[in-house]
Amino acid sequence: MFRRVLFTVAVVLAGSSALGQIGNPAGMGVDTRMARPGVPAPHQTNNQDRLFAQLATAGGLAEVELGNLAGGKAKADAVKQFADMMVSDHSDANRKLKELADAAKIPLSDQLDPEHALLRERLRTLEADAFDAAYIKAQIVDHQKTAQLLAWEISMGEDGDLQRLASSLLPVVLDHLRRAQEIHGLLTGASVRLPPETLAEMEHRQ
Amino acid sequence: MFRYKRSFILAACSIGAGFCVFAVGAFSDPLPPDTTYRPLPTMPFSDARRIDEAQKPDVMKRQLDLLQRRYDLSDKPMPGAMMSGGMKPVQADIRVRLPAGVTWGELTAMKPAEIKQKNLLPEGFLPLPHVKQATGGQVFPNRQIDEIHAQEMRDLRRFDVDFDLPDNLTPEFPPPIFLTTHPELGDVSRGQLLTIKNFYEIMNGIVTPVQMEGLRLLLTPFPQEEFNQTEDRKVADQSTGVACLDCHSNFHTNAAFHLTPDIRPQADRFRLDSTSLRGLFNQQIHGSKRSLRSVEDFSEFEQRTAYFNGDHVSATRKGANLPDRTNQVAMMAQMQNIIDFPPAPKLDVFGRLDPELATPQELSGERIFMGKGRCADCHVPQTQFMDNDMHDLKLERFYKIGQVFNDFVALPDGPIKTFTLRGIKDSPPYLHDGRLMTLADTVEFFNLVLGVKLNEQEKKDLVAYLVTL
Repeated sequence: MFRRVLFTVAVVLAGSSALGQIGNPAGMGVDTRMARPGVPAPHQTNNQDRLFAQLATAGGLAEVELGNLAGGKAKADAVKQFADMMVSDHSDANRKLKELADAAKIPLSDQLDPEHALLRERLRTLEADAFDAAYIKAQIVDHQKTAQLLAWEISMGEDGDLQRLASSLLPVVLDHLRRAQEIHGLLTGASVRLPPETLAEMEHRQ
Repeated sequence: MFRYKRSFILAACSIGAGFCVFAVGAFSDPLPPDTTYRPLPTMPFSDARRIDEAQKPDVMKRQLDLLQRRYDLSDKPMPGAMMSGGMKPVQADIRVRLPAGVTWGELTAMKPAEIKQKNLLPEGFLPLPHVKQATGGQVFPNRQIDEIHAQEMRDLRRFDVDFDLPDNLTPEFPPPIFLTTHPELGDVSRGQLLTIKNFYEIMNGIVTPVQMEGLRLLLTPFPQEEFNQTEDRKVADQSTGVACLDCHSNFHTNAAFHLTPDIRPQADRFRLDSTSLRGLFNQQIHGSKRSLRSVEDFSEFEQRTAYFNGDHVSATRKGANLPDRTNQVAMMAQMQNIIDFPPAPKLDVFGRLDPELATPQELSGERIFMGKGRCADCHVPQTQFMDNDMHDLKLERFYKIGQVFNDFVALPDGPIKTFTLRGIKDSPPYLHDGRLMTLADTVEFFNLVLGVKLNEQEKKDLVAYLVTL
């Protein structure tokens, strides 16, 4: 419940301040259809939007797939809860992304990409503490990459709807990253930047 | 034997795991290339310009809305406090707007996590967006644009954006120039802006031949990301470029801004307010993020950074100027190293207030600066109110990161260089990105961030002290 509230708050916050995405026209496609001068038409995409939709979809699919795996297999409660959160938050984001991609006629894959397929195979061979640590480490890398990808779409894309979605997802992804780093710290003793909030938040939720 | 065998198996497993990690790495795709590199423009110049001009009213309105939501931008001079040239009053009062239903006192009584959770950090304390984040680049105030046009017929006006802050919240223009080599002369600017046209007339007889040549180079326009010959420029005519002192007017600052060259992707790059070059001779690290160790390094590398966003690839296409280290950079550095701070007659040789000259309020402010306020932990009077170090204020304790404001992602600032406070009344807006408009704003900001819980009188005294520096 708490994370739903958090997610909604983030969407409202970011959405309200991201109403006017205004890109650099030097990088726009020469065939850009305009709703009015200077404003790309709804669902007008450029190469960056299309690549973003595909890469973000691949990442989102992997989050759900690996989250399901970890939900059943993880040893630590914190990892299990994190995995459940990945399944629910990313299912929601994937659905929104698919709606916008369909509207802009961007073809999306429904298969796990090779990198994550390989990771899934590797995770299947691990158990208990080794599984937890490997899953969380991979989550940190995935969320780092996703945060950069979302920021890239915000400045380089052209489809306002996709950019607004990216804006609304970014605080959530960064929050996931922080949680993953904190859980990694709990599991392995690795350092975190600020005092951990995750445990207190979990207690708050219960 | 058994133990040996087990450790062998463990070693084999860890090699196996290492191989797996490597295999995953080798299989993965990197992020898209234009996350780091600037893409070549796809649009013809005339079309890009037409679209930019059509977007401009929305761009400016969006930025003005944000500024007015965050700050009181009105003209409220501080009685009796003028900038060092005597041309412009120092601005008074707190300008950052509080969220509804909370006072400064209530805010400072809360823990950072509570402020974050309730979303109560004043928006004006967050990083300040560039007027057009997706493009970024150098934006000059109108006074600079007009003066350079009048003297040199060179155009610094962009067609996609205008400068966004009101004139009353920027430094006086043109700023006075004080030289370490001639303290007795006082301001040597003659009330003029130094340009490639007039520098010899103004400085001949005052500086050495080496300094004069350094000055000439600092005033010579060279191609820059937005001001050049290519279809990627943001100025109407093909441009010969910009000069170092187009931002650092008269070796001070005119509040021209830019995006940090040190961060990618574009949406994450924070705004940079031009810093003053006064007192550079005592500064050991340069650049808010880069911590370059000499003014020579900085003068040389600015051709890659301030001019081309830390992108030597784009620079090569648009025309990079690479000054010769021994014959040109050294002269540019020597000129910069004779620029003094403005006079601070109430300070003694250790940078402390002279009790016979200072008012009781200023002396009280100094005690707070040195003690309860903890300002002097970094801004050390003995070393020109800096510590030649970088510090991380960890502002993200107070807000949820990743929120997007005008296409700019608010993220932790990380370690930032301590700036000098000598002559600080002359260089609004404050902080590396100019997010704070007045000295009173900076006192509120640090009161919250450092958790020092100053009372109203202490804050007023501290502002009175800062004006004496």
